[in-house]
Amino acid sequence: MIYDVRHVTRYRYEAPVATNSCVLHLTPRSTDGQETTANHIDIRPLPTGAAERVDIFGNRVIRMRIEAPHRELVIESTAQVKVERPAPPAAGLTPAWENVAAAAADSDSLGTDSPALGLFESRLVGLYDEITDYARSSFPPGRPIYEAGLDLSRRIHADFAYDKAVTEVATPPEVAFAKRGGVCQDFAHIMIAALRGLGLPALYVSGYIRTIPPPGKPRLVGADASHAWAQLWCGREFGWLGLDPTNAIPVGDDHIVVAVGRDYADVAPVEGVIVSSGGQALDVEVDVTPRTF
Amino acid sequence: MASESRSASSPPGPDRVAAWTADYRPLPGIPDEFIAADGAKRAYWTRFLDALAALSPEEIAQRFAAADRRIRDMGVSYRVHGEAAERHWPLGRMPLLIAEAEWREIARGVEQRAELLERILADLYGEGKLVAEGFLPAAAIAGSKDYLPQMNGVKPRGGHWLRLYAAEIGRGPDGRWWVLGDRAQAPSGSGYTLENRLVLSQTFPAFFREMNVERLAPFFRELRAGMRAAADRPDPRICILTPGPWSQTYFEQAYLARYLGFLLIEGADLVMNEGRMFVRTIAGLKRADVLWRHVDSDWVDPLELNPASRLGAPGLIDAIRASGVAVENMPGTGLLESRALLAFLPRLAERLLGETLRMPNIATWWCGQSRARDHVLASLDEIAIAGAFTRDAPGFAGRPIVLGSELSAEERGRLEKRLAERGVDFVGQEVARLSTTPHWENGKLAPRPFVLRVYAAATPDGWRVMPGGFCRVSDKPDARVVSMGEGVESADVWVLADKPVEASTLLPARSEQRIVRLLGNLPSRAADNLFWFGRYIERCEATLRLARCLTNRAIDPDASSAVARQSIDKLKTVLVAWGAIPADAGKQAAVEASAAALRSEENYGSALSIARAARHAASIIRERLTQDTWRLIGGLEEGLARSGGRPLSEPEILDAVEAALTTIAALSGLFDENFNRGAGWYFYDIGRRVERGINTCRFARQLADKPATDNNLDVLLDLIDSQITYRSRYLTGVAPALVRDMALLDPFNPRSVGFQVATIDDHIAGLPVLRQDGMLEEPRRLSIQLRAELSTDDAERMDGRAILAIEQRLAHLADAIGARYFLQSGKPKHAEKIMSLA
Repeated sequence: MIYDVRHVTRYRYEAPVATNSCVLHLTPRSTDGQETTANHIDIRPLPTGAAERVDIFGNRVIRMRIEAPHRELVIESTAQVKVERPAPPAAGLTPAWENVAAAAADSDSLGTDSPALGLFESRLVGLYDEITDYARSSFPPGRPIYEAGLDLSRRIHADFAYDKAVTEVATPPEVAFAKRGGVCQDFAHIMIAALRGLGLPALYVSGYIRTIPPPGKPRLVGADASHAWAQLWCGREFGWLGLDPTNAIPVGDDHIVVAVGRDYADVAPVEGVIVSSGGQALDVEVDVTPRTF
Repeated sequence: MASESRSASSPPGPDRVAAWTADYRPLPGIPDEFIAADGAKRAYWTRFLDALAALSPEEIAQRFAAADRRIRDMGVSYRVHGEAAERHWPLGRMPLLIAEAEWREIARGVEQRAELLERILADLYGEGKLVAEGFLPAAAIAGSKDYLPQMNGVKPRGGHWLRLYAAEIGRGPDGRWWVLGDRAQAPSGSGYTLENRLVLSQTFPAFFREMNVERLAPFFRELRAGMRAAADRPDPRICILTPGPWSQTYFEQAYLARYLGFLLIEGADLVMNEGRMFVRTIAGLKRADVLWRHVDSDWVDPLELNPASRLGAPGLIDAIRASGVAVENMPGTGLLESRALLAFLPRLAERLLGETLRMPNIATWWCGQSRARDHVLASLDEIAIAGAFTRDAPGFAGRPIVLGSELSAEERGRLEKRLAERGVDFVGQEVARLSTTPHWENGKLAPRPFVLRVYAAATPDGWRVMPGGFCRVSDKPDARVVSMGEGVESADVWVLADKPVEASTLLPARSEQRIVRLLGNLPSRAADNLFWFGRYIERCEATLRLARCLTNRAIDPDASSAVARQSIDKLKTVLVAWGAIPADAGKQAAVEASAAALRSEENYGSALSIARAARHAASIIRERLTQDTWRLIGGLEEGLARSGGRPLSEPEILDAVEAALTTIAALSGLFDENFNRGAGWYFYDIGRRVERGINTCRFARQLADKPATDNNLDVLLDLIDSQITYRSRYLTGVAPALVRDMALLDPFNPRSVGFQVATIDDHIAGLPVLRQDGMLEEPRRLSIQLRAELSTDDAERMDGRAILAIEQRLAHLADAIGARYFLQSGKPKHAEKIMSLA
């Protein structure tokens, strides 16, 4: 499947902003059954010193600064992404979760795919006894890891209400957990906290999900905005596998991965520091359109 | 050995030593510095005590008291996390003594360890062989919050990840020294070490000399040389990046800046531009070549690290990647402080250095590995459990160390479960008992546990170890952890050479402890705070004069007359207008209003509140102030606060005002006589004169507007301290135009507005300009205009409106000065995060 993605971020500032430094995670990855064949990021006003680099998770990160005073910042990212993800493995064939935990602690890599990077508390996701306890019933001794992970994602989908009014961007996972509700970011964070609590490596994925459903299928939650889900490391052989607790489905060709990190803080689409005395308003538009041939 | 002086009448020295040490018993099984394992007293301790005993008890007491006084006077202080007030530095009476031969072994061990740790960092952020080859599990590194993947592939400018490293050491049960922990983030204490030395060497100058104590100054010179060498130009600007006055060790940072001649800056002072870092100064952006980082890694760059940080500079990590700035120590070095790493160091020493560790560290098992975890679980009763990466043991908040043997059944069950599920978060460690050293308590010596922090610096000639260190001594006989806080003292550490040591001064002579300042290098933050310090001091003085005037008028026999009453009301109006007394104080008796203006905690404009604000502004530029100045600033606030909440009589108010005015006069004198006439002094003086000009306008509007009573004019002359000048110049009584001229225009009266403006204009003329294009900068344009007008105006036409216009233009000039020279008013603020809602 080939998608056209358009993601527009627009800030309006009450008072002129003298300098604006930003980090952008907006370019979809070209890994794991996905290829970004074209992309363009348009920034107005024009930045000085924009540079791209690849971070430890393999994300393409852009840093840029705007030095001219401005009252509006518009970042428009467009990309063409081809997604042909291999089918997820048969869950029953993945290793027992305890063995995965031991292999993760023993990992001999600090590189891009290292499970060690997903093993510990991170800026926004700590370890919480209640969340770990919640996860336990999905992880009886010896259960294949991916099977257990899918079960946990289905339980989160069933037990938690999708409700934009319950949380905000900074809501900690334990609050969303206690309220039994939230949005995809919260579900992903809860899932990650649950898995890490059991000593399993988990990461946060920021991306998109297709806007227009195939004929006869329901529209998926999270369309027309950024989406987020989790990745679980399933041992050396199977590596990282996506789990979408918001929709309780495996991650397949409807998902487009933009960036992977320890939690939202590592992959926020636009993160910036401005020097200004006034407030600001933000407006985001996302379109994900599959090409029809 | 010669003593400081001898007293013929006191009991002989040996008896006194016997009395001090009669009850001295090392704790069973714990090594002690004074009495060795075989029961023998160490010779150098005996020498030291004999020398001390040669002094009379009175003289000893006197010298100890002088040391305490010196610490207070120097303002040596620290802060306990979460406390608002700073604490005076507790320096113990006894130094920690270590003989040269033993010290050499320690130094070699620390040197080796520093080199090992440096190589580990270079590998982890570089090739990554240690992890790939299985010498270090990836999870034992990734668990540290200070492992920064952002640093991968970075080559530190200057070639070092660690510039200053410190090892915490103690004597093990076998009498050998061993390492208890590593400090690699931003090791603190080196500045306090200098302070301790300065104080103790002045307390016992003769013993200090005769016991051949190794000097500290050469170490700091070499540290500085190392930092210098990291820069890419010959005369680099080296800055200490401080978290600011609320930091626990701000005093030390300010002290080191002054001692080493570095610039003390905060993150907001820095700007990244094209891969280099710059300091905002009054002459524009100036290169920052080297940053000695005292801000934890996670906080140094809000763009790439903690977005909540207000302590860092956006883009710093980028500048580091571009090799445009040397940061000492590099961000990411803090991972060396993880206990998890201790488990692997012996093997890593062999792998990287081909050597065994010269100084062992405390035996440690990282529970992320199943064999180590099984061992720990099996020996839970003999082993201490601690966090592999965290201060406290995970799940045991507030407890750095958990002893298996001390756990309840419930706690033990919880711990075992956690160890099974997340063993990666724990280490097991051999239970360490700290060794002891003599501590002076109530005129006797007692063995008390201590920890010694030893510093190593990367210099152009390799690692150098400071001969001495930062020693903390507990006042409890049994301690497992000693950190600065309740019941802990620091001790100076004397490394005793076999031969006389070459004299080496720690500090420039006291008379040279002045600010060395080049025009144009003044950071905007310092200019800002000097300006506001000047304004606060002037405002404080004006408030005191108002309170005095009000009290004097109230006790005047004619106070009840209508004219006198009117003057009193006007004085109250001024005090209400600047928040010195509450708005409803009009009904209060004058004496109560005066007392409130003096020392009220609630009113932001009281002399006490203003003195506090002045002290805060001064604390931000502390490294630029002399000890005397700092002491007077503290004294001003303390003096005003002293009377507490009890009602004051008129004479008491007048006494308090006089005392405070005297302090301010002394402070003014110190500034005028001692402060270099560079940009810094200009800003201080501009601040004072802007404030004085504005205040005088305010007084004149209240008291000299048409029609003015004689009584009011008389009060005005009091407030602007111009009674004598007026009387000597005019034999007539007070006349409105004459008083107005004296208060507003007279260029020869140092209290007039005209005089203030002329001085401000001269000062601004001496400040650097950004562009040499012949155009006046805004502050100068305004000061010239105002000066010209005041020089040509006529006192006759000066009514309230005309005076208000001058006052407003002064305020406008102050704003223009702020906009041109100070940090931008808007604090760095975060772009709102995108709500990536589903």
